[in-house]
Amino acid sequence: MGDRTAYQTLVKQHLKSISHYAYRLLGNQKDTEDITQEVFLRLWTNAQKWESKKSKLTTWLHRIAHNLCIDYLRKHGRMQTQDSFDDEADDSTSKEKESIDVKNDEVKLLREAISALPENQRSALSLCHYQGFSNKEAAAIMNISVKALESAIARAKRSLREKLTTSS
Amino acid sequence: MTLEEFTRIIDLYGAESARWPKSLRAECQSFLANDIEARTLLNQQWQVDEIMGQIEVPSFPDLENRILNQSLPERNRSFFEEVMGWLIPEENFGKQVWRPAIAACIPLVFGIVLGNYFSFGVGIEDDGFQYWDDELAMLSLTDYTETSF
Repeated sequence: MGDRTAYQTLVKQHLKSISHYAYRLLGNQKDTEDITQEVFLRLWTNAQKWESKKSKLTTWLHRIAHNLCIDYLRKHGRMQTQDSFDDEADDSTSKEKESIDVKNDEVKLLREAISALPENQRSALSLCHYQGFSNKEAAAIMNISVKALESAIARAKRSLREKLTTSS
Repeated sequence: MTLEEFTRIIDLYGAESARWPKSLRAECQSFLANDIEARTLLNQQWQVDEIMGQIEVPSFPDLENRILNQSLPERNRSFFEEVMGWLIPEENFGKQVWRPAIAACIPLVFGIVLGNYFSFGVGIEDDGFQYWDDELAMLSLTDYTETSF
């Protein structure tokens, strides 16, 4: 019983950040929900694998999410862009979905540019810019060196700047 | 500082100067004041950061319930967890009592068995067995103080 209560608390605590990270990598709601569910299932079944001295729980969970997303993308091809998500969800459009619609051309352009980035750059950008991880933590999540992570972030930002500059 | 170095700092730490390394902040500010390309670059990055902040993620209203209500499989437990799970079961009061009691008795049984097979340097004098009747007399706790021999 105690385990289940602890599990429920952890789900409530980490659900938002894990689902947001998965969404930023996958780009569509259905896959995000499936992957997020799988992350928490692994938390339940493999809790003993988490080493509290080595990493924070959130880092460990993001690492699981990262690996699942990368596996998924490799199996199913590149991420679906927001446009394809919108097309897919046309039948069940709700007010909440409308609220995330593209606010203006620049936002749409940048969203497309981010979805066109290679997986590692998108992941690095998402972890450091949106999820608030340090470079060291993000590198640990992605299982790469800090130098490789910094290089991925630099390339991603350069690419986004170029996209925005050429469009305007 | 060169434009390339400044670009690298912008790429790594973003447009907000508070996030730049302290040791390079002053140098960056002075380079920025004198280089028009650097200012253009900074403005572009401001724009990118601002737009990135506007990219929202949808909410997942049913996801929490879906995760909390899913049937959870048996957990993969470590050896220690298995032992502790057996020793102190979550339910069944009877087991909660006799299992720890059995565990507590294990060292005692182990000690008896070990003592039975090994002397551990404690020798048993053969002479002692020759006067076993004396030993018995002493054990009988008879008061001999007033007995005249």
